Amino acid sequence: MLEKEITISNKLGLHARASAKLVQALHGFQSSAFLACRGKEVNAKSIMGVMMLAAGMGTPVTLRTDGPDEADAMQAMVDLFERKFDEES
Amino acid sequence: MALGRARLERPSRYLVDDRPLAEDEIEAEVAKLDAAIAAAREELSALRDKLHGTLAREVAEFIDAHSLMLADRELTSGISNLIRAGRYRASAALKMQRDRLVEMFDAMDDPYLRSRKEDVEHVIARVQAGLVRESSREERKIASRVGEILVADTIAPSELVPLAEHGVLGVVLGSGSQVSHGAILARSLHLPMIVAAHDALSSIQDDDLLLIDGEQGSIVVHPTAADLARYRAWQRDTIQQGKRLALLRDAETRTRDGVAIALYANAELPSDIAQARSYGAAGIGLYRTEFLFLQRPELPDEEEQFLVYRDLVLGMGGLPVTIRTLDLGADKADESGLAMDDEENPALGMRGVRLSLHRPQVLVTQLRAILRASAYGPVRILVPMITTADEMTRVREMLDDAARDLRTEGYEIADNFELGAMIEVPAAALVLRDMIRDLDFVAIGTNDLVQYTLAVDRNNDHLAYLYDPLHPAVVRLIAYIIVTARRAKRRVTLCGEIAGDRRYTALLLALGLTDFSMHPGALLEIRETVNSQDFAELRAQASDLLRVNSRERLAEWLGGFAPATTGTPADAN
Repeated sequence: MLEKEITISNKLGLHARASAKLVQALHGFQSSAFLACRGKEVNAKSIMGVMMLAAGMGTPVTLRTDGPDEADAMQAMVDLFERKFDEES
Repeated sequence: MALGRARLERPSRYLVDDRPLAEDEIEAEVAKLDAAIAAAREELSALRDKLHGTLAREVAEFIDAHSLMLADRELTSGISNLIRAGRYRASAALKMQRDRLVEMFDAMDDPYLRSRKEDVEHVIARVQAGLVRESSREERKIASRVGEILVADTIAPSELVPLAEHGVLGVVLGSGSQVSHGAILARSLHLPMIVAAHDALSSIQDDDLLLIDGEQGSIVVHPTAADLARYRAWQRDTIQQGKRLALLRDAETRTRDGVAIALYANAELPSDIAQARSYGAAGIGLYRTEFLFLQRPELPDEEEQFLVYRDLVLGMGGLPVTIRTLDLGADKADESGLAMDDEENPALGMRGVRLSLHRPQVLVTQLRAILRASAYGPVRILVPMITTADEMTRVREMLDDAARDLRTEGYEIADNFELGAMIEVPAAALVLRDMIRDLDFVAIGTNDLVQYTLAVDRNNDHLAYLYDPLHPAVVRLIAYIIVTARRAKRRVTLCGEIAGDRRYTALLLALGLTDFSMHPGALLEIRETVNSQDFAELRAQASDLLRVNSRERLAEWLGGFAPATTGTPADAN
């Protein structure tokens, strides 16, 4: 199991389109993936789960992956957060 | 403007059947829900297909998010559980799930995230609509759309296209803004839209007659006779203007004596491409790529550029597209991911092809992306700021290498792609005869050519009087470029501001120019002007024009060809 702390840095936070990108990025990985913040943990492969986390810009979030390809799945998530979900500006 | 019957749409307008299900109805009800969800997903996927092209990228992101929500068991199993365990009918279960989620959104701290409960509402409304359709009421619902102005609190951008197709005349929204995705899409669909009409839903009733003016942002409920007269006058003008424009849209561009002239569009934004198509451009004569590099800290990679160029090529449907390689200098570098030293004099500094050759990886990435897009339609590559023949040779080598590498890597690229130079440095114009063999085509960039020939900064207000395309030196240079290119049988396109300014059209035709590239908004106006000229008659005056030694005499000559038409057919949208 891998865990990583990250702070949400895209301007709009984890809204539906950003959540969709996260779910799409995790598509195809066998490992399970979770996001946690403010004591709540959700399945990162579920768009509803990610959206309902209500994580806006500046929110600290814990990423967790568990499974055979957990390192790659983690990297895919971290990349997306670092690219700020490819949001403009 | 639009005049029509009001049709109020609230999320709660779907009928909710509260009667509990009998034991033996449960599985049929779950199946009904599943069918409605499947239908909603299919609708979204059909919409996404229909929306391909550059215009649609932002809308596509919403559609993807909504599709994923419909596929998410956390949403759907919650609803089917309500049916199974609570014996709710599908419509009631959907409403409960929606209310539950909306309540959670309302409790969110972040104002943007809170406002995105819209996504949940749109998705659930789409499934509700699917359930209604199951009971075969769809035909009636669509038919009744004709002649209506939709009044709603909010609307998903993806819903606008089918609404317009079903005959909705206009949209009034209680929320939203002029720059929202929906408002931008509405404009491109020519659908009048009023946003942020906060009390619209409370003060307008179903079937009220509404007159809305999307440009003014005004709504008249129960218009008076005077309002209707104003509407009729507008309608007459629009029809008249539309007729004239429609004639010009489909018209050929041909001088009175039958010489075909090609009018290309300069483009950058998706809306430019849409306009170029609808105004009958011969292709894109200048596609600027700087926007891909600006306002961001990193450089765009090959894949990102490829997708943009590919959509551009697809968007033009087989018409030629001329993509100009990066034309940035030190004055703009700090807005991009290009680390550059400050320069005393950026206009004479490291810019255009000079920068591309100094940072070959940037150019190679761009050339690869353009070449990959060439698999989807005709592409020409235009290199800016060429000063010496040697620069062109080096770009050609890099292009050939990139093409060879791509083919080795298994990419599909066109067999032929033309490489041309933007002639905007006077030195390049003067030695064009030596360079022309290495060029497949020539583009004249008059904005910079004027600035460099006259040594006038085009942004210096005090020197504006000197910045003059009619200076005989500029006219003679343009004439020389055109003659040299024509003698070598190379296409020559002029793509500065003067190409789209009808005051210069006669002069450029006289100099022998047959390919113009301009802002798409100017296409119809220039077409109208070209069609009123006689090419042979103008050509006969070329040698006299080149002997004219003052801009005043040139201006006087041009005055004799002043366009006779009144009004401007420029972009009304």
